[in-house]
Amino acid sequence: MEQEMFNQRTDLSELSRAVEQIRQQLGKIIVGQQGTIDLLIAGLLANGHLLLEGVPGVAKTLSAKLVAKSIAATFSRIQFTPDLMPSDVLGTAVFSPKTAEFQFRRGPIFGNIILVDEINRAPAKTQSALFEAMEERQVTVDGKTYKLEEPFMVLATQNPIEQEGTYRLPEAQLDRFLFKVEIKYPTLEEEIEILEQQHQQDTQHQLEEIKPVLDIAQITSLRATIKALFVEPKLLAYAAQIVNETRQNKALYLGASPRASLALINSAKAIAAMAGRDFVTPDDIVKVATPVLAHRVMLSPEKEMEGLTTSDIITQIIKKIEVPR
Amino acid sequence: MRLLLVKVITFFVFFATNLQAQQAPQLALGKPVKDTLALKLDSSKTQVKEFGNQSIQKYKEQKEFQYGDDEPKGLSWWDRFWRNFWDWINRLFGQRESTSSGPSMWPSILKYGAMAICIVLVVFIIFKLAGVDFKWFAGKSKAVDVPYDESLENIHEISFEDEISNTLQKGNYRLAVRLLYLQTLKHLSDREIIDWQPNKTNVAYVREMQGEKGEEAFANLTYQFEYIWYGDFPVDRTAFAQIQQSFQQFNGVWR
Repeated sequence: MEQEMFNQRTDLSELSRAVEQIRQQLGKIIVGQQGTIDLLIAGLLANGHLLLEGVPGVAKTLSAKLVAKSIAATFSRIQFTPDLMPSDVLGTAVFSPKTAEFQFRRGPIFGNIILVDEINRAPAKTQSALFEAMEERQVTVDGKTYKLEEPFMVLATQNPIEQEGTYRLPEAQLDRFLFKVEIKYPTLEEEIEILEQQHQQDTQHQLEEIKPVLDIAQITSLRATIKALFVEPKLLAYAAQIVNETRQNKALYLGASPRASLALINSAKAIAAMAGRDFVTPDDIVKVATPVLAHRVMLSPEKEMEGLTTSDIITQIIKKIEVPR
Repeated sequence: MRLLLVKVITFFVFFATNLQAQQAPQLALGKPVKDTLALKLDSSKTQVKEFGNQSIQKYKEQKEFQYGDDEPKGLSWWDRFWRNFWDWINRLFGQRESTSSGPSMWPSILKYGAMAICIVLVVFIIFKLAGVDFKWFAGKSKAVDVPYDESLENIHEISFEDEISNTLQKGNYRLAVRLLYLQTLKHLSDREIIDWQPNKTNVAYVREMQGEKGEEAFANLTYQFEYIWYGDFPVDRTAFAQIQQSFQQFNGVWR
């Protein structure tokens, strides 16, 4: 009864419906992993790029493909390999004998949803080709700038265990990912369910049944709605304090950037909207703090030797800062 | 550069000459040579001269031959203290012969102890400048020591009745709702139903209330507080009266 006291200032019904539809689509194939699915949707709504990390076989690529298939937009897949060149990603100028001129042939980066599989298998040279595209949503080749079409979203996957033939992603690139979504092993019950599901129908057939539930116009509209959500100034200070503490904390060698503060607020807005609220609460910020910050900071060598992770330190930082109330 | 070259050449010349001089004498084989050197006996008489005590005393009285430190006149007690202190340090670490019957171990112990402390201090400063965390030597510290900042507003020190009354007089219903919520958290904390920590979110308290009496009512109060405080939803006198009643009912359960 008390809940009827507050009428939403922003109409979130379309957003709630869209979120529910995507959840259902992803839930058809991905068993469990509710947290991961929510972060995938939040990333999509917050206009961010996502880095999916997990050991082989936990459905990283499948999750990315499912998000892409849920949207009626152009999709490209780039398999990152050690010999991949920047021009293989961005495109290259090709000589046309008919016109006797060089013509720019667009690379696979020119799409709406880009799946970069095994991103850490390409060297830094190729990784850096993504910098401009991911941040400025444009590509500059031979002195000419080409705007990328909106929505533009990079879904990258990487395996944290394998070291042979892999390269650590440059910090500048890690900072461009809104979330690093860690995909864990399923529970025993979930694994049994996966087996039962696969026993009836294989993944390829299941994927064919997935139909888009959102178009480009809807996504653009939902993103605008989320951007307009209300954030109490004290919560902006709270988010800034968390990010600032990553720069002061002695356990961290590298703190998070101001881009991380923006990412924290934008993704908290998306989480708030998914919860049906048109304003952000401290809990929304806490929920996204680890996926937003853990990949942007670097542990000090001593803490790394102790076996701590950046996620552990972010959790400790959150515990240190008083919630505005 | 030229000077350096000259120095290097000089060094090598000196080194080579020295090395040659140090070489072991070699046996010269061949015809023996007749030794022409002969020692003569010195038959001159030696006259031993001695200083007279009077002469020594005369020299001692002359200021030019007095090498000891004079005690400057007009020193304050503070200056004398430091003078004595440095004299003591000099005696302790200086090459002074012991006047006692047997050699004492203490000066050596103190000397080497002080040297060891200095070395440790220098190493510590170097490590500290290099940013080495010394906790690492003590083993794994999974929980990093987090300094706890005290809340600017300790809910256990707020006089809620007075504060709510003052706030309502000013017509600030939004702030009054916040005080009502904090008062509720204090009630729950006093009864050890929740563990009050300034760093916990409201959702964390809602979780702690799971399975407790009034669980749903507390979730509703949290909802109202969040909409008004974080959502900036307007609250007027009528709405506040309704909200206050909900809080009073909930708190009444725990009295």
